[in-house]
Amino acid sequence: MMLGRALSADFLKMRRKGIWFLAFLGPVGLLAMQALDFGLRYDYMMELNASDLWGALIQQLSFFVPLALFMGSTLIASLIANVEHQSGSWKQLLALPISRSAVFTSKYLLGVIVLLISCLLLSGGTIILGLALKFKAEIPIQQLLSFTFLPLLAALPLLAFQLWLSLIIKNQALPVTIGITASIASLFSGNFPAFVPLTWPTYSIMDSATKQLLLVLY
Amino acid sequence: MLLGLIRPSQGSIHLFGKDLKKEKLNILRKVGSLVEYPSNYGHLTAVQNLEAIRRILDVPKSRIDEVLDIVQLTKEAKRPVKGYSLGMKQRLGIASALLGSPELLILDEPTNGLDPAGIHEIRELIRSMPKQHGITVLVSSHLLSEVEQMAGTVGIIREGVMVFQDTIHNLQQQAAGGFQLKVSNPQEALQLIHAEGYSGELNKGALMLTKMSDQQIANVIKRLVDNHHDIYRVEENRKSLEDIFMQVIGQGGIL
Repeated sequence: MMLGRALSADFLKMRRKGIWFLAFLGPVGLLAMQALDFGLRYDYMMELNASDLWGALIQQLSFFVPLALFMGSTLIASLIANVEHQSGSWKQLLALPISRSAVFTSKYLLGVIVLLISCLLLSGGTIILGLALKFKAEIPIQQLLSFTFLPLLAALPLLAFQLWLSLIIKNQALPVTIGITASIASLFSGNFPAFVPLTWPTYSIMDSATKQLLLVLY
Repeated sequence: MLLGLIRPSQGSIHLFGKDLKKEKLNILRKVGSLVEYPSNYGHLTAVQNLEAIRRILDVPKSRIDEVLDIVQLTKEAKRPVKGYSLGMKQRLGIASALLGSPELLILDEPTNGLDPAGIHEIRELIRSMPKQHGITVLVSSHLLSEVEQMAGTVGIIREGVMVFQDTIHNLQQQAAGGFQLKVSNPQEALQLIHAEGYSGELNKGALMLTKMSDQQIANVIKRLVDNHHDIYRVEENRKSLEDIFMQVIGQGGIL
């Protein structure tokens, strides 16, 4: 299949570009933050959240998930597009017997796959962190998956937008600036109306956990 | 435009008897191309660069070794491409173009920015393509001496219009001017030539003869020698491709 071939070529091109490091850094960074929070004041945190330890951990993490996803989308999109910009290989790539839609779909899919892996790492890492912190309650698998994958779904439009920006603008400073600004703005998504795409990842998990968290913070 | 990178404003393109608009992918499969400067992924090795293209083309893995062998990069194949010289990158570019076993190879300015050794290397490589692999090569270049040494058929495009197309041999035939003879006594020699019935004139102490056949020129020389003239030089006064080019461009295609 043409798309599959293009995708496997794109995977090869991303070697040693730091994209996998980035996919790994996101979830590990978020988890390290929580490990520090719980670790430094272990007794206090355990007592405060005794009723729902898993819920508390997920709640705290999920506040940062939209931000991490937006930043991730921005940087991944930029990396994927820049491989071709840097080597000036667009003409060569497009002159190959492959349709343009396959070329660009494959790049988008690559971004989605990298984000998927990040989310899976975060869900899995949360379980490991919870167990390491000796949470006794049953592991809430469904919640663990939904607090990463629902925001991912909601962040896909932004990934598409960022990839488009990175593809049409050769100098990656501009798309990255726009993306990072959007990521930071997404922290205040509670203030925006729901039609703004930046709020979607937050809304996607609001019912379960984040609503309370946001209320606490404001 | 032949590769479908730019859409023609009007008209259509037919390659291998197929319409480019309708069967772009089928046509591109038979075409290898090198567009302007070599574009390789610097952080990957030559093998990985070719592999990235091979995965899209879906040809057997053995092709990678074959094309590396053709461009003589086998020894350097495991190094990251960013450490390559321009000539090596250019050769890798040609290797990528050859990967899909194309029937037509389109090379845009293949010797641009190369040192003389590199130019020679690439030229030999390009000349070997039709002979050894049966590939038609289409080269665009503004280095006329390069074209003269590489091409079998040339076309000249002026302002988007093909104003000239013919074999290089015919072009050189048209380019052939007269002969120039340097002899010990030009004045007497000229008289002798006129007596023989050939036309010619003196120019800066040399005899200028109009275009004539091999037999005729042999005859002229024989007569001169028989009459005890010393002949220092016999030169063909050939117009360079550049002269012809300027002529074509200047006249708007009447040659």
